[in-house]
Amino acid sequence: MKIKLNSRNAIASLFIALGLVLSACSGAGVDEGASTDTSGSTTEETATEAVAAECGEWNIAMHAWVGYTAGAQVLTNVGEELGCTINQVKLDEAGVTYDAIEAGSIDVIVEDWGGGRWQEWADRGQLVEVGENGNVGLIGMFVPAWMAEEYPDITDAANLNKYAELFETSESGGKGAWYEGPPGYTTIGEKMIAAGDLNFQVISTGSEAALVELFTQAVENKTAALGYFYEPHNLFGALDLVRINWPENDWSAPEEADGSTDYPKSPLIKIASKNLIDSGDPFATVFQNWTWTNADQNQIAADIEAGTDPAVAAQKWIDANRATVDGWLG
Amino acid sequence: MSTAVVNKATKIIQIRRLYLFLFVVIAWVSLATIFRGRATLALPVSENSPFNDRVGAVAAAIRAGRFENPAFIYFFNPLREIIDSAVQLVRTLIAIPVSGSIIPVVGWFGVIGIVAFIVYASSNFKFTFLAVALLLGTGVLGMWTSTMDTIAMTLTAVIFSLGIGLPLGIWAGLSDRVLTFLRPFLDLAQIVPTLVYLAPLALFFLIGAASATIATMIYSIPIVIRITALGIRGLNNSPVEASISMGSTKRQTLAKVQLPMAKQTIILGVNQTVMAALSFVVIAALIGAPGLGGPIINALTVRNVGDGFVAGLAVVLVAIMLDRSTSAAVKTKKSFVPPSADEIKRRRLNVAAMGGFAVLSIYLSRNFLWAAVWPENINTSKIVSNATNTFVDYATTTLYFLTIGFRELITIAILNPLETLLAQSPWFLTVAAIAIIALIIGGRGVAILSVILLLAIVYTGLWRDTMLTLTQVIVATLLTMIIGITVGVWIGRSQKADTAIRPFLDAGQTLPAFVYLIPMLGLFGPTRFTAIATGIVYSIPVVTKLVADGIKNVPKSMVEAAIANGSTSWQVITKVQLPASKRSLLLAANQGLIFVLAVVVIGGFVGAGGLGYLVLLGSSKPEMQGKGLSAGLAILLLGIVIDRIAQTGARRK
Repeated sequence: MKIKLNSRNAIASLFIALGLVLSACSGAGVDEGASTDTSGSTTEETATEAVAAECGEWNIAMHAWVGYTAGAQVLTNVGEELGCTINQVKLDEAGVTYDAIEAGSIDVIVEDWGGGRWQEWADRGQLVEVGENGNVGLIGMFVPAWMAEEYPDITDAANLNKYAELFETSESGGKGAWYEGPPGYTTIGEKMIAAGDLNFQVISTGSEAALVELFTQAVENKTAALGYFYEPHNLFGALDLVRINWPENDWSAPEEADGSTDYPKSPLIKIASKNLIDSGDPFATVFQNWTWTNADQNQIAADIEAGTDPAVAAQKWIDANRATVDGWLG
Repeated sequence: MSTAVVNKATKIIQIRRLYLFLFVVIAWVSLATIFRGRATLALPVSENSPFNDRVGAVAAAIRAGRFENPAFIYFFNPLREIIDSAVQLVRTLIAIPVSGSIIPVVGWFGVIGIVAFIVYASSNFKFTFLAVALLLGTGVLGMWTSTMDTIAMTLTAVIFSLGIGLPLGIWAGLSDRVLTFLRPFLDLAQIVPTLVYLAPLALFFLIGAASATIATMIYSIPIVIRITALGIRGLNNSPVEASISMGSTKRQTLAKVQLPMAKQTIILGVNQTVMAALSFVVIAALIGAPGLGGPIINALTVRNVGDGFVAGLAVVLVAIMLDRSTSAAVKTKKSFVPPSADEIKRRRLNVAAMGGFAVLSIYLSRNFLWAAVWPENINTSKIVSNATNTFVDYATTTLYFLTIGFRELITIAILNPLETLLAQSPWFLTVAAIAIIALIIGGRGVAILSVILLLAIVYTGLWRDTMLTLTQVIVATLLTMIIGITVGVWIGRSQKADTAIRPFLDAGQTLPAFVYLIPMLGLFGPTRFTAIATGIVYSIPVVTKLVADGIKNVPKSMVEAAIANGSTSWQVITKVQLPASKRSLLLAANQGLIFVLAVVVIGGFVGAGGLGYLVLLGSSKPEMQGKGLSAGLAILLLGIVIDRIAQTGARRK
């Protein structure tokens, strides 16, 4: 028998063979096949599969900052203990994630900083505001600590103009450089400058990495820098930054701000999909009950920053705070 | 004789044009100094122009209609679901677990077997070995699953792109009317920076694998169409005519003559499509594409160069693998000596053996854990990542003062004065100046087009931001051309230098720009220069290659004649080689501008401001969405202005 085996026939025959192999062992995937393997990981897998019937499959939005990762990972670990399937989906915050909730591909936002910017989506019904998660966010303008030591009165916003030229760079057009927060964060720098008649120029940073770079260089090289930052953030463990003080805050939505007062303390908000809330699933209960503190979050964030795997760091916290966690189960 | 006269005449025109150009610049600068700061149309970052508000309202209406509007119910949503399920299908084949299991349909060992077979069947053993080694490399980097996700995404996008692009390309190859209709879109697709696609796509297709695939398709389909049409049009006419005169129908001629003859070019098109789709990996991750882009973007937000580099390296390995495998399919069939019967037999046996190995490996990967899941302990990601971080930290701290000095020099000497000229002058002065320069360089048509497009930018309310971006593009292109011409001349003249440097250029072209954005941030801080430096690194390979090719194509006799006349190397370069490769230099400048524009806008991530930042702002702040979309539009318009001026300028000279 003569079979002409040029490349086209070869590929065709491979696909036929592939089909045969696949159909021959359909149903006998690795779960079964691997039971000959004594690693034990498969038995664990079937154990969780068995419980999984009671608890559904849910997608947590993973935003980029470490503090967020800490909260999301704790929820993931607790959810998996309950037998849920929790998927972590990396994506941009705000509009992007709200859209994803509407599309059904995200069920949980662990912490949202923007007071009410999701209203349009909530009005349409698929996005549900679940309440505060216990963390309190505080935005502000910061300088490296060495500047506060050298010029003690710099921490009062009223004195900023006196020092404006210290902050001048080739980027800031003859004024002091005012490094504004990344897009997506609540920022009123332009209003603050206008209201205080400050001799500063807003520079848009674009990412947290850029701000971290700015402050790292400012602390290490003792250069001047005035920039936007926020707590809770694990950077405060590594770098010494000092907050500039404005008169006490009197606004909550940025469009109400006139720029003469400081940023508000904002309780961070949990958001879920209507699907999750309506499901009555154990994970929905956990998410609705879950609250914790800035200190809790920082503890895990510091471990992650030090190189610990997020899942391990979160488990360490869970094991140490078992009573709190049990309280969430309802 | 007459050619000499014509040459002299063109020379006089050129010199006159140069004087005119200088005069315009001087007039521009003096008027700009007098009127500085007036009518600059500056718009605070947190405010919307009336146009931005209108765009924002349209966007909000589109969002609100997602579940009611018939266009969504009957078109966008089903399309998204179809593409999404196609991506998921391919992903479950090789990347993500089938539900109820812990592994995909085919485990890692099976994938290796399949790749080995396909590459061997279409080329030879050398390429097979290379492909397998590179694929294993991604596993060793600890990136197996992400790599498979990326390959699955790329594969799906490429299949859809070919499905749409090949027929259109063939049609455009046969019909002038179709080509004329498609050409503006094809041109546009080459100019638009990829970042611009994302926000509008997310609006219609939400985020996720589907919109990422569609974005990739929009990027790569024009490439398929262009190359396929070129392949068919570039054919020698006589066989086609012979076929028609022998009474073949159009369809027969196409199937039996034109397509087989254009096969090589079409495979080249497939190769280019694969590479284009792959180069989209990182940008696509911004709208939720699974795969290697995620870790790279994530590394940017948590400032971890090492992790991003590991994923970036995996992208390069995949790129080399796909590039070599697809181009090998073209290259290995060039032998003129027909193989002997023995050789054919041996080859068939080998292919059959390889097929057997593939089937066996699939079987193993479905039944044994070691062949199904990439072994956990073979993972060097931490080592590579830490080593990269250490190196980059060391380099940034030691070089800091050097790099800062260079940054300040460029910023104060070139960047700031140019920005003042473009962005701090009254807008109508800048529009007029650009229009006159377009008139001198490219002629009346381009000048009119430029004025219309620039006025459209003014209308968006983002004039000043556009000028900030334009400033960065011009400075980055100037520096790129200086470096590109220097290196290009060097490797164009020395084969040794070429052999040593070209691999770096190749790798540089496939390494996603986001990967070196963070080291650049470390070297230059959150400044405009970081964006410029990233743009330079990104566009140097293409500029250098074009310059080098131009230098190499200068007839040897010209160079030898100059040397025989006693010219020094410097004279040979400046009087013979560079003038003779002028076309390549102009093409390089044009490509450089477009490449730089594509990357300068991602500088918005690291403090460069301008239109790129507004695009990011729009995608993360709902109330700024109108402004972000307008910024995308402004980038598009700016890209067309730059490209048209540069292109017509190149054609005229």
